[in-house]
Amino acid sequence: MSQFSQTNSGGIDYRRRQKVARLLQHLVILLGAAVLTIYALAPVTWLVSSSFQTEAEIVSVPPHWIPEEPTLQNFEAIFSATEEEEITYETRSGQDPASGGYIPSTAKNLIPSMWNSLIVASLVVVLNLLVGVPAAYALAKIRFWGRDASVYFILITRVIPDIALVVPFFLVIRKLGMLDSLGSLVLTYLAVTVPFSVFILVQYFEGLPDELDKAARVDGCSRFQALLRVFLPLSLPSLVAVVLFTFLTSWNEFLLALMFTQTEASQTLPIVLAAFTSDFTISFSFINAAGVLAIVPPVIVAVVFERYIVSGLTAGAVKG
Amino acid sequence: MARIRFENVEKKYANGFHAVKDLNLEIRDKEFLVLLGPSGCGKSTTLNMIAGLEEVSDGSLLFDDELVNYMPPHKRDVAMVFQSYALYPHKSVYDNIAFGLQMRRAPREETDRRVRDAARKLEIEHLLDRRPSQLSGGQRQRVALGRAMVREPAVFLMDEPLSNLDAALRISMRAEIKELHQEMQTTFVYVTHDQAEALTLADRIVVMRDGVVQQIGSPGDIYERPRNTFVASFLGNPPINYIEGQIKVTDDQMVRFVQGELELNFPAETAAKLADCDGLTVLLGIRAEDVEEGSHGGAGAVLTGKVNSVLPVGSDLFLGFELFGNELFFRVGKDIGHASGDEVSLTVDLNRLHVFDKDSGASLIW
Amino acid sequence: MRHLFGYEERSAALFLAPVMLVLMGVAVFPIFYSLYISFFRIKLTRPNRTPFVGLDNYTDLFTNELFWVSVVRTVTFSVVSVTAIAVIALLISLLLNQNFRGRRVLSTILLVPWAIPYVANALMWKWIYDSGYGALNGVLYQLDFIDKYMIWLGDQDKTIFLIANAFVWKEVPLAAILLLVSLKSIPSDLYQAARVDGAGVWQRFIHVTLPAMKPGFMLVMIYETMMAIRHFDLFFILTEGGPGDASHVLSWHIYVETFRNLSFGSGAAMSYVLALVTFALSYVFIRTLGRRI
Repeated sequence: MSQFSQTNSGGIDYRRRQKVARLLQHLVILLGAAVLTIYALAPVTWLVSSSFQTEAEIVSVPPHWIPEEPTLQNFEAIFSATEEEEITYETRSGQDPASGGYIPSTAKNLIPSMWNSLIVASLVVVLNLLVGVPAAYALAKIRFWGRDASVYFILITRVIPDIALVVPFFLVIRKLGMLDSLGSLVLTYLAVTVPFSVFILVQYFEGLPDELDKAARVDGCSRFQALLRVFLPLSLPSLVAVVLFTFLTSWNEFLLALMFTQTEASQTLPIVLAAFTSDFTISFSFINAAGVLAIVPPVIVAVVFERYIVSGLTAGAVKG
Repeated sequence: MARIRFENVEKKYANGFHAVKDLNLEIRDKEFLVLLGPSGCGKSTTLNMIAGLEEVSDGSLLFDDELVNYMPPHKRDVAMVFQSYALYPHKSVYDNIAFGLQMRRAPREETDRRVRDAARKLEIEHLLDRRPSQLSGGQRQRVALGRAMVREPAVFLMDEPLSNLDAALRISMRAEIKELHQEMQTTFVYVTHDQAEALTLADRIVVMRDGVVQQIGSPGDIYERPRNTFVASFLGNPPINYIEGQIKVTDDQMVRFVQGELELNFPAETAAKLADCDGLTVLLGIRAEDVEEGSHGGAGAVLTGKVNSVLPVGSDLFLGFELFGNELFFRVGKDIGHASGDEVSLTVDLNRLHVFDKDSGASLIW
Repeated sequence: MRHLFGYEERSAALFLAPVMLVLMGVAVFPIFYSLYISFFRIKLTRPNRTPFVGLDNYTDLFTNELFWVSVVRTVTFSVVSVTAIAVIALLISLLLNQNFRGRRVLSTILLVPWAIPYVANALMWKWIYDSGYGALNGVLYQLDFIDKYMIWLGDQDKTIFLIANAFVWKEVPLAAILLLVSLKSIPSDLYQAARVDGAGVWQRFIHVTLPAMKPGFMLVMIYETMMAIRHFDLFFILTEGGPGDASHVLSWHIYVETFRNLSFGSGAAMSYVLALVTFALSYVFIRTLGRRI
């Protein structure tokens, strides 16, 4: 490129213009990167910052952007709030929400709810893999009668809005006596995760050469053995993507959990968190600390597995 | 030991594509059979049906008189080499070769012996611990061959195995595959679109087009006695030349090809076959190499025309002629100096003329 | 002799059986059951009387003023959000399509909003918009844009836009990644050809980049519209539909009808309407993705 403009007539002029253009481009990129970083991180940073502030500091006007006396008391409160402590109207009003930092009775549910979230998410992940992998292999590598119909069927189930499933789910689950159980969550989360998982896996399997499948079968593999011994070992990146997406979706899900859970036996983290926000007596510093706890695991997962997530999003085109 | 028989076999895909039409073919035991044709002619589909990778839509496919239409590939005793080699990327070369035996539960020592044996024959012993990604194209090709060899299958299938190699390697691998066939004493079915490969390797060639068999025969048959214009055109480089004209049977039982000034006399044997064709419009086929420089053939055997282009190809010289509105190419010795615009006379080898019906394209003499 | 279904069909059926069973149970059955329910008057407050009412739930719906308010709110929220998402995501994808040091870091940072749970996102924005101590007030006050703290979410005219902002912030990364994919899929010879033809930067953007991004853009717009019209979490935590009916969107309306008024029949009818709208919207979406596999 640059040699060409130099050898052209009026080379110096071109060189200069190109230099200016390149400088301008760098400037725009730098500016864009700065704006994007601030846009994406400022709100989270503010949340994290205020979770390290005392109740007294958090109510200052204008706000302290950086805590002057950083404290871990909000987090300590969460982790120590496990023992049963009767909270009555008296003990509640005995603490001044403006200065003392009121810790709600539901605080002790926070850690168990994280466990609930973890259990539900793990089960959903396992089930997704169990039903998703064989289905994806069949759709990607077997030319069978009804394949296109199956693909469209799965795609259609993917666009059913979760809110349209709430009423029928609720009535069925109530009839089965499964309200307020982790099982009901696992089942219903399958509806919002399986179609997407199948989609990611199909896209990946399609990318593996058909001849590999043929070679395996001529070499003596049944369909099942070809999947198990040839495709499964090769599909690790897509399996990781499925695990990540399914896990994050389950971990973050709110609407269905709100409908089907009632007590700490099944409440997941988002539910407990949401309960805090509707209680005006709870101090913001405590809520923020809880929010940070909810944010940390998925963000770590996203950052560590960035490569798999981006490729999974690319393959699956859109998260369902 | 394997004979393969196709009886009225059809292959239709779900999308309506009719890949193979009414195929009747018997592949003999220990034969080297080549399926030849342009892409989309149904040759790979035919191979896949033998392997069991595609199901037969209608008709019967028999291995030694046993119907195998519905037998899945892992139950058939076939091995296959693919164009892309299709080596398992996550397995070492050793495991790639051994996989087929492992899947068939061969004893461990037996597997090991056979793998090392094949590796030695193919000169890839030093590569056994590598991964396919660390190999060159030619090496991958050998591993793919090894993977098929160790199985000692009843039928050895190859789907354009040399297409991904560069030209020089392709020629030497051709020779090796031929040796392999002699050594293994099994039935080989080989798919290619490369006429030169087909002519060198095959005992018999099956030429296919649009799912229909055009001709089955030995390489000599196919090349010397093409049964229609498609087969004639598909083989030969540069391709066969056609001149449109009429058959004229004279009173003295001479048969001539006539086009304007041009008159060519058919030799007696050919003439006998064309005796009923007086006045028929035909395509006269002359292979590029079936001419000689000069007019020594005399009347009724000489083509004269103006040179349009001169194309040296190293070993030979191709002359392009403008004749009756067609561009014809002939192969002449490279020592002959000609320039564009020269008037040149060529003597045609009358015994090697091909005559096709213009409308159907079918040969009138073979 | 002839098998109707061969080995391929049999093994495919076996492999697809689990997924089909699951999807039948958790997606197909519920959606049809929902249709069935919507023909009855089901109130959990009187569980023993569930009369069949035919299409009454639907006709009631269309004469209910609050339903139409919720439709207007949903449309406003969706149009504002999707437009903002498309514009911001386009800018981000163009930025990330450049080659510069730190590009990887930047795209990792971009994943942060995507990864955090919606509830945490809602909680975070609630705190930012807080009238007493929130960051929005703080920033604007320190920059002298306002001379006293405002009650942001309590302002009928602003609520829906503030919620849209929180929604956009979380949805933009995904949209940007998808647009980046379609940017990257443009062959570079196309740009070179345009250059040789004398097209400048702007012309290349208009004549090469934008047309090539059209399918990706369609996908993003449709997907984000589907997400926006069904969105619930932010409305639940930030405003509960208020103030007044300023953020009373359809999903919130369904929630109130079903779980506060305990009218499951009409709740089902409404969610069915929402599902049908989503299906209609997703036609192009499904066709596009279906063709890709």
